[in-house]
Amino acid sequence: MAVTVDGELVAFLVLSAIEVLAALMVVVSKKLVHSVFWLFITLLTIGAIYLLFRTEFIAFIQIIVYAGAVPVLMLFGIMLTRRKIMEEPHEPE
Amino acid sequence: MAEMWINMGPQHPMTHGLWNLRIKVDGETVVDAEPEIGYLHRGYEKIMEVREFQKNVVLTDRLCYVSSITWSHCYCLACEAVMDVEPPPRAEYLRVITNELQRLASHLMWLAAYGPDLGLLTALLWALRERELFLDLLQLITGARMNQNFPRIGGVRNDAPHDFDKYCRKVIAHFRKKLGEHEKLFEQSKLFQMRTLGVGSISRKDAIDWGVTGPNLRACGAAIDLRKLDPYDAYPEIDFEPAVEHDGDSYSRYKVRVEEMKTSCSIIEQALAKMPDGPYRVKPPRRAEGEAFRRTEDSRGEALFYVIGDGDDRPYRVKIRSPVFSNIFAAPLMLRGNKVADVVAIMGSIDVCVGEMDK
Amino acid sequence: MSGHLIDLLGWSEAIAGFLLWLLSLPLALGNWIALQVGAPSPGPLTGVIGWVTGPDLVSFLGVIIAINLLLLWATAFHLLIIMWIERKMYSRLQDRRGIMIGLGSSEILRRILGPIPLLGRPFRRPSHLGTGFLQTVADGVKLFQKEVITPAKADRWMFHVAPVVIAASTLMLFVAIPWSDGFWIMGSYETHFINGTPQSVPVNPWGILVILAAFGIAPLAILIAGWASNNKYSLLGGMRAAAQLMAYEIPLVLSLIAVVVLSGTLDPFEFVRDQSRPLTIGGLTVPFLPNWYIFHPALVIAFVVFFITIIAEAERIPFDIPEAEAELVEGWTTEYSGMRFGIVFGFKWLRALAGAALIVIMFFGGWDGPVFTTLQVPNLATLGAGTVPLPVLFQEFWFTVKIYVVFIVFVWIGWSVPRIRIDQILNIGWRRLVPLSLLAILIAALAGGLNWL
Repeated sequence: MAVTVDGELVAFLVLSAIEVLAALMVVVSKKLVHSVFWLFITLLTIGAIYLLFRTEFIAFIQIIVYAGAVPVLMLFGIMLTRRKIMEEPHEPE
Repeated sequence: MAEMWINMGPQHPMTHGLWNLRIKVDGETVVDAEPEIGYLHRGYEKIMEVREFQKNVVLTDRLCYVSSITWSHCYCLACEAVMDVEPPPRAEYLRVITNELQRLASHLMWLAAYGPDLGLLTALLWALRERELFLDLLQLITGARMNQNFPRIGGVRNDAPHDFDKYCRKVIAHFRKKLGEHEKLFEQSKLFQMRTLGVGSISRKDAIDWGVTGPNLRACGAAIDLRKLDPYDAYPEIDFEPAVEHDGDSYSRYKVRVEEMKTSCSIIEQALAKMPDGPYRVKPPRRAEGEAFRRTEDSRGEALFYVIGDGDDRPYRVKIRSPVFSNIFAAPLMLRGNKVADVVAIMGSIDVCVGEMDK
Repeated sequence: MSGHLIDLLGWSEAIAGFLLWLLSLPLALGNWIALQVGAPSPGPLTGVIGWVTGPDLVSFLGVIIAINLLLLWATAFHLLIIMWIERKMYSRLQDRRGIMIGLGSSEILRRILGPIPLLGRPFRRPSHLGTGFLQTVADGVKLFQKEVITPAKADRWMFHVAPVVIAASTLMLFVAIPWSDGFWIMGSYETHFINGTPQSVPVNPWGILVILAAFGIAPLAILIAGWASNNKYSLLGGMRAAAQLMAYEIPLVLSLIAVVVLSGTLDPFEFVRDQSRPLTIGGLTVPFLPNWYIFHPALVIAFVVFFITIIAEAERIPFDIPEAEAELVEGWTTEYSGMRFGIVFGFKWLRALAGAALIVIMFFGGWDGPVFTTLQVPNLATLGAGTVPLPVLFQEFWFTVKIYVVFIVFVWIGWSVPRIRIDQILNIGWRRLVPLSLLAILIAALAGGLNWL
């Protein structure tokens, strides 16, 4: 099986590395909002990898639906249900 | 999101002036409100005790700097009551004319501030453009555009120039047309109606209980206008109807002020026609003993001065009752149940002038 | 429909080829030195030189240069001009004389047109010099030299990343929108049969989807920006902005679909090509009118809905509650200062511009316009040997003019009406515009199916 080293392979490796790293950061991040941001990066790079498979439609739908809507949904869920979303300036920590 | 207290002010573009409004929000709805005032307290009532009666007019001008003549006029009326001095008829008419000109300038300033509060930034420029005409007229007769130091105990400072009524009529005719344009800008906009109809209502009973006066009260259906109820100066001889609306929301308050502008135009025209010739001032005594109070219809409501003289040439005590002081503390009733975004629309329609509130 | 002036990818590749050729010169020198020293011919560095000057790297670098040129053109040309247009337009609406005086007072105009006996009169009156154009440049310089403050308790990573994502998504918009037949980045050439003759035309089968994707990323960035500022007001503003943008994405997509249903393609190039032919409604050809979709009665509702949603997506008055001055100071951008704020602010304008460009492509025929004639100018590529037809009033000009007209309507609307409350905005978005856009799709489908076009 001959693997030709061309730009496509390089792009796939780079994007996969970013995606795996971002997925790891989703789980590892201390702050919840950071996790949501890394989730966004993960979904975005998955969409970019779909482009490499020449399925452009799925790629852009992935970006519209997943990367564009799901993290916002999560952030709204976080912000509307937690009491202390950030440090109040006049409350002693 | 839990309930939290938000500070709107004291440094905030919405609060025209220096005061703090603490609102308790539950998500997007206002649950309670607490105005915190006093940031502009200048110790007026104390200062007035150490200055002669006439010199206090300079101070009362600056109580509400947007509507200065009406405040100084009220103070002069109270002092005249203490000193038992009658101003001549020409002075009374001059006072009425300048009061109404100042009321127009004040309402136009309110309109210029209310538009941008709602996002209609063009209203600022248009209303200020018309206000310039009235400031020019005031300058013609008093010599200054604001803080004019014009009313005197016993009359006014000087007579009107001989061609004053010609310019005055010209300006009023022009303004009537332009007011139609401004009304169209606001009322024909469905978005303005969406922002102000039904927003910030207060019932008539609540308004009277909490001491709300002025256009805010007339918007609730109570036809209480001190120029008609308890007339002073030349108002008994002038024929006009106070503007009244019945809903008590921000749209009614806006409408009342616009109608008041039209009423002021007709008052000025009638006063110009009926003004007699004669002296414009009588000299009051220097010292005064006794106590009296007078109330007038200021641009924002009922202004009351209670002056006590003890035989000295300075007042023993001056008590100022400011309409905005009462209106502001009725604001929580108007704010409850509305959204945070409505706070600006409501507070703007109450017409807050911090100078007279904090004294 | 010839007549474009700028061939962006072609020129960028030429620039890239030139730069890479420059880069290969030292390599060639090294190769020659190695050959002299005794290395076997054709020399050890030949492969590297071949790769450096080869087509892969040239086209890659060409695309990068093209993106940079596009960004430069968007900010240095369009951003300055639209900010200038907005200033003059709303000043005229507000009856302000001072800012309008500069318009007719250009010194050049005065010297050229002033001496004309009757018509030159307006140019002879005393006035200020200058049009006020450099005010925007001065604003940019002012923002550059301001101190960039990060709030102490702000989440530093998110705070810095949010403007980057906003800028990136707006840039994605700019890359996806073609600006003429030659001024585009996303696309490829295909051979289509137009009027029977095969022509090489650009196509971008997924252009509209990319644009929608770019619009979709923005709410997240704004929400993160608002949260990361550690400021209650900014958080409120960010949440409102995200809610508003997400609410208006649905009518945006649906009304676009109404147009897509009628035209049958997601390709912006195809939209413009389709709108260049003469107008036929119900089989009758209307003279003098091109087939712009604005003239189709079936797409009226789609146009109105799309127009309103573009104003809402660009966060202009009447939909600018997220950054309403009177209530939240600057809303979600409160804590951003200096050029960080400049980026966010400038890219908000560019999103409005991209929205206007989208409206023009979808409804007003894109870069279609009468190209009156072509001048034959010496061909610079062959150093003046042959002549190349230079179109007078080329496509980029028409596109720019139409975008500015649409933008002027945005400004006109924005400065005449108050702003609406956030719950009223969401109300309009969900309860009025979504059913209307569904109705638009229905009408468009009926019209297409019954061939009412």
